[in-house]
Amino acid sequence: MSEVSLGVLSDEQDPVSQSTAKGSFLPVLKRWLREPLLHFLLLGLVLFAIYGYMHRGRGGVESSKQIALSLDELRQMEMYFESQWHRQPTPAEFQAMVEDKVREEVLYREALAMGLDKDDTIVKRRMAQKMQFLAEDVTAAHEPSTAELKAWFEKNSNKFALPSRYSFRHLYFSPDKRGKNARDDAAKALTKIAGQPEDSNLAASLADPFMFQDYYGDRAPDALAKEFGPQFVVALEKLKPGSWQGPVESGYGWHLVYVDTVIPGRIPAFEEMEPDVKTAWLAEQKRQAWQKAYTEMRAKYNVLLPGPSDKEAVQAPVPPPKKQVPAPSGEGPL
Amino acid sequence: MRNHFARGRQAARIARAAMRPMRKTKTSLFLLTSAGLILSLAACSKQNSEARAATEKEQAQSTRSPEARPSRNPLKNAYFGDLHLHTGYSMDAFAFGTRTTPEDSYKYAMGETVEYMGKPQKRIAPLDFLAVTDHAEYLGVVRDTIDPNGPFAKSEWYAMMTNPDSAVSASAFRKLIGSTIVNKPLPEFNDPKLLRSSWEKYAAISDKYYKPGKFTTFVGFEWTSAPQFQNLHRCVIFADKGPAMPYTAFDSLDPEDLWRYLEAQRKQGLDVIAVPHNGNASNGLMFSTRDMSGKPITRDYTERRMANEPLAEIIQAKGQTDTSPALSPTDEFANFEMWLYLIGSDKKANSATGSYLRQAYGVGQEQQAKLGVNPFKYGVEAGTDFHSGITSTEPSNFPGSHGNQDSDPRIVITATTSVGGEPPTALSSGGLTGVWAEENTRESIFSAFRRKETFGTSGTRIKVRMFAGWNYPKDMTKQADWVTAAYDDGVPMGGDLAAPSGTAAPTFVVHAVKDPDSGNLDRVQIIKISTKNGKSQEKIYDVVWSGDRKPDPKTGKVPAVGNTVDVKSATYQNTIGSTELIGEWTDPAFDPNAHATYYARVLEIPTPRWSTYWAAKLNVPPNPNVAATVQQRAWTSPVWYAPAKP
Repeated sequence: MSEVSLGVLSDEQDPVSQSTAKGSFLPVLKRWLREPLLHFLLLGLVLFAIYGYMHRGRGGVESSKQIALSLDELRQMEMYFESQWHRQPTPAEFQAMVEDKVREEVLYREALAMGLDKDDTIVKRRMAQKMQFLAEDVTAAHEPSTAELKAWFEKNSNKFALPSRYSFRHLYFSPDKRGKNARDDAAKALTKIAGQPEDSNLAASLADPFMFQDYYGDRAPDALAKEFGPQFVVALEKLKPGSWQGPVESGYGWHLVYVDTVIPGRIPAFEEMEPDVKTAWLAEQKRQAWQKAYTEMRAKYNVLLPGPSDKEAVQAPVPPPKKQVPAPSGEGPL
Repeated sequence: MRNHFARGRQAARIARAAMRPMRKTKTSLFLLTSAGLILSLAACSKQNSEARAATEKEQAQSTRSPEARPSRNPLKNAYFGDLHLHTGYSMDAFAFGTRTTPEDSYKYAMGETVEYMGKPQKRIAPLDFLAVTDHAEYLGVVRDTIDPNGPFAKSEWYAMMTNPDSAVSASAFRKLIGSTIVNKPLPEFNDPKLLRSSWEKYAAISDKYYKPGKFTTFVGFEWTSAPQFQNLHRCVIFADKGPAMPYTAFDSLDPEDLWRYLEAQRKQGLDVIAVPHNGNASNGLMFSTRDMSGKPITRDYTERRMANEPLAEIIQAKGQTDTSPALSPTDEFANFEMWLYLIGSDKKANSATGSYLRQAYGVGQEQQAKLGVNPFKYGVEAGTDFHSGITSTEPSNFPGSHGNQDSDPRIVITATTSVGGEPPTALSSGGLTGVWAEENTRESIFSAFRRKETFGTSGTRIKVRMFAGWNYPKDMTKQADWVTAAYDDGVPMGGDLAAPSGTAAPTFVVHAVKDPDSGNLDRVQIIKISTKNGKSQEKIYDVVWSGDRKPDPKTGKVPAVGNTVDVKSATYQNTIGSTELIGEWTDPAFDPNAHATYYARVLEIPTPRWSTYWAAKLNVPPNPNVAATVQQRAWTSPVWYAPAKP
């Protein structure tokens, strides 16, 4: 591989600064001329020409001894550098990056030739991971039709269940203002307003001002537990809508509550959830594809473990597991 | 090409110079616009509560729709979250046997059940937002060590990391964290390719769990600089999308270099802040008036510090950074969750000076008199810094916070030392950040960080807000729409009092509401730090309190609220204290020629400390090294006053 030579770029000052040319293209030209990738490509062209001239008539280099870097790869290297350092690489830095890449490739090929990839846990693990990606990618390429998603949703709709939601007005009886009487005061007030409508002025006049809202619309139990404390929600869930009820205790004191609407927990219609369904469907397909691919691969193998004697082990190979095998990488404890 | 760097530096200098006057114009423009906005908001929110009820009713009637996104509240809601949490992606947490991932963290914060140290855990009250901030150094890579088929299978790392003995994992921790302290990365964990793929996966998890209107996530990491175990750590929080790569202590130990990284991110359109924490473990370095090279800080340093760091963390597992009894001898509530050790060390810090926020507020004003800018004009937030992956700040529901260092009750009851030096019981049950924001979105909450309309709590969900103005009418909090008036005629916490009109002193309005699942409130105090002629002093005023207690005529202090805790059973009664405290206070000693920082502190009645709940469960006496009962609390961001230049 001694032919792979990268040459040395001169670290001289910007040639453009000598230029006397005028005109609007100048800044563009300046930028272009400072572009290290351009320097590199030009230099590469020169080297290629020299190389071609010196080795003319040889009929090309043996392909396994050729290291070709595409323009895309070089671009990518430059972008990586920029994202790290927030500036363009100097030609010297760029050259060093390319040489790193070449070194990796050279050593990789030499190592392959020496068989160093055999029995290496890192190599094994990486290749196993690639097999997983491959299996999953096969499904990722497939765009599900609406009908397909709908059919899947019918079977898995319980995964998308929505919690109940409550809308209510409440009257607050403050222990700060009423001390131990807060609960009794609330109970007494209830006898006066039983049968009154939700927005009755009488109701409002009996209670204390509440520090947040008097009306809460369309709240799920977990959101209400955060606001009022968990015990309030347990009680709220048992109230019948359409009349003043209570007293109900919260983390702040006592309340009379008029629930006007309960939207029971329900399974949503497919149309409401289509994007979520698609996400879940894709995850499920990936999991299944992996499972199927692995099961097929696994079936081709006999696994032998040492038994009391080797002879016995051969007679009793370990069967493939019945349980699902998780993918070799991904989230969760390793 | 040799001039490449020089040219870059010059350009940066020119840009900075150009920015200076521009920034001022921008600020005044911003103030004008906000004032206009607030005025118009005030007009339309007179009948705010009824209008909102109508909106909410309308929303509720569309019965088939999925849960409606709550409408924006121009008068702002309080949201609670954690901006400092480690998972198994952090080298040290993983060494402690923590195997949770950021996915677990977000699920737990939203109220789902997750497994931690082999047991299911669930929060009583879910949180509104969360930033997972794993250590940037080796982020995620150390997880490979326990793979029996992995690259570390034959190394001592595998043996150390899979050993259930907490003493063994502590030695792994020391090796890992030690490499950041001596700034010599372990090459096996510092592979750029591994780090990059791990980072991308990590940042994507944050985006995945963001549910605008319902639950907000932030992409974050912790920059772990601690020269000679003196803590300079910062959590870095991005406004929206995360960066290509985090910035590590191996890149630099100097906060000014971290700021350079943040400034570069902002140039690329990624707004971001850094939040310093644990000044208490910094040996005076955190709020020093000298930079890393020992030179006195300059105006440029100060401006950059404040542009990059609007907030500081006031409490977390390793103690509070408000103040210490040594610095505030007359503050009878100062001795709360003290952590006296350096970071990752069994050595105690030598210096309280330069380590706590309250003192820094005074020092900042002294610097402001010299430099024209205050280097320590910090708003406050709080976090857990738990290395468990779960923000479990509820003392009655506390599973431990540092993996195998403190999740086994036998260890917690008996151990006299831990990785951090002190016994594991010395760790607190953390802290939470509160923000006042229009809605639960990244944009709205991050804007609150920038405005410093924030508060920190010791893990409880006390809602507290403070406003200040020159012309607030008496008894204004008795008006139904007092919040509108408070915004209209003054500034919220995090803001600056404008120049006084006349000789009047400023009036402060405070409003605190208890956590519905914790103790009642004892009192609200305003802590004032004033600076004149280069000298600073603090004074604490009781402003509103529960019951009919009378201030001591000599000291002016309101007597203690009492204590209902039964230590043996770890129970308390909310028969003392208030659910809500609200009131106004006018500074009786206002000097228009002195600088002043004012912030509010809210105290709960005494409740059992987490370690007392554990002792009760095990039917043993509580660990004598720590308090059996504590007064949980909240601190607001300050309001600042600076005299006009003579």
